[in-house]
Amino acid sequence: MPLKITNFSNAILYNISFSLPQGHNLILLGSNGVGKTTLAKILSGMIPSDSVDIDGISPSTTFGHSRAKSINYVPPVLEIFDSFISVKAFLTLSCIEPVCNIEEVLNQVGILHLSPKLCHTLSSGESQLVLIASALLHQANYTIFDEPTANLDPQKIQSIFSLLQKSLPSKSKIIITHHLDLAYQLGFDILFLAHGKIAFYGSSADFFEPLHLETLYQGAVIKENHYIRVNL
Amino acid sequence: MKILAIIFSVFILCIAPFFGQVSLDLASVLDTKSMQHKIFFDIRLPRVVLAFLVGGILALGGLIFQIVFRNPMSTPFTLGVASGATLFTAIAIVLGFTTSVPLFAFVGAMSTVLILFSVTLRLSHHDSSSLLLIGIALSFFYSASLMLMFYLSNLQESYEIMRFTMGSLDIVGFGSIPILVFCAVLLLLVIYTYDYEVKLLLTSYEFAYLKGINVKKTTYILLFTVSVAVGVAVSFTGPIGFVGLIIPHILKSIYKVSADRLIYPIFFYGGVFLVLSDLLGRNITSHTDIPIGVVTSFLGAPFFIYLLLRSHKV
Repeated sequence: MPLKITNFSNAILYNISFSLPQGHNLILLGSNGVGKTTLAKILSGMIPSDSVDIDGISPSTTFGHSRAKSINYVPPVLEIFDSFISVKAFLTLSCIEPVCNIEEVLNQVGILHLSPKLCHTLSSGESQLVLIASALLHQANYTIFDEPTANLDPQKIQSIFSLLQKSLPSKSKIIITHHLDLAYQLGFDILFLAHGKIAFYGSSADFFEPLHLETLYQGAVIKENHYIRVNL
Repeated sequence: MKILAIIFSVFILCIAPFFGQVSLDLASVLDTKSMQHKIFFDIRLPRVVLAFLVGGILALGGLIFQIVFRNPMSTPFTLGVASGATLFTAIAIVLGFTTSVPLFAFVGAMSTVLILFSVTLRLSHHDSSSLLLIGIALSFFYSASLMLMFYLSNLQESYEIMRFTMGSLDIVGFGSIPILVFCAVLLLLVIYTYDYEVKLLLTSYEFAYLKGINVKKTTYILLFTVSVAVGVAVSFTGPIGFVGLIIPHILKSIYKVSADRLIYPIFFYGGVFLVLSDLLGRNITSHTDIPIGVVTSFLGAPFFIYLLLRSHKV
């Protein structure tokens, strides 16, 4: 069953329709304020809409395990109200199945040492890894990662890149990013938003055609020896 | 430290009924024909039980409001529940229904909750800060109405209204205790039932939502239960400020664990705090009781500021 959004419009988005079969991944690109996060919140049901259908359910009107199982959204920053919640306690809450192997996921993400720490004391890079671990434990059919590499140092970007590439193999990942090189290296299909509309939805190879990049980014982005870089 | 606190608390609860304007000793209390026996079982013991239950309800109510509203200053009093009770009490006094004061106070508290909920249901989406602002607007409206009641009342009535706003734990017999026990048990039971949801609300609303929780329904059920319990408590004792605000903060800074693990300690120490405040209020001066609201604020405010300073050292 695919994820489907049909003819959605609001104050900033106009006539959005697309579908994504389960198991396929997508990268959501577009300039600041174009509505990427809004679209993510609509897809995950946090902004009510009856235009979304995932596995036959409408996420904004369905509650319980079936909704949680269908879609998850990973915010750009880890926000936790209670300052005494530890990483382990947070990850225990992240798991929606009766049994979860938290230690295995912590090992996979390489943050076993953070387990007893309080979430409030983590650095931004550590928080980002905890968020990824949380998504891996949640195991939704569709997981939206909202700017998973914002404000991170190169090593952290590297480890998040390989996690995004390899993890949740049978599930769908939707990644919102401004990091075009990351988008290019991941090779997932691209959905590009401009002026509130879908300006491009297709393969990575077509999107990263030099001429296509030139039209979309007016020379701000160039492709050079299989790398995408900002033209400074 | 924690064990000492528990021992001290149990000690306070045990000795509290023995002290007051008339000191009682165990031997005369056990003598069923004595005056002391009557004072102990008809006045002191119900009073201590009342103080314990009301303290527990107010403290736990404060914690739930702080979690739901994401605001360390919110308590059921912030939303106008207590002001509603006070206003309706003033109306009862001015209209001459002095014997039905608890009933009027309860109606005042509950109608505030109903107004609050009917307004929030009209909001396009769940927004805790709007609810808080509506509560504050209601409080101001009630204060103005209370002023009007003062203006319309005679000297005797003004005094009675004033006395209610200071809070009082004066009761005779166990008549009102069962309903408070019911409210306290209901509150604890609802929080126990929604344990998983409360844990998720302690992270973020978005996170809770994405785990499948109906955040709006859960927060409304929690707020409604707290409001009923606090409404009943206030109808018997008048508004006793500060307990709901400081007890959750004090326990968090002592225990240093997440709030879901503090539900029972907050109820217990909220109760102990009010029993202790009442014990002091009854014994500081030999000829009169100091109003309970005055004691809770005198005890709580300096300790609270001390704890804040200690946890936010420069």
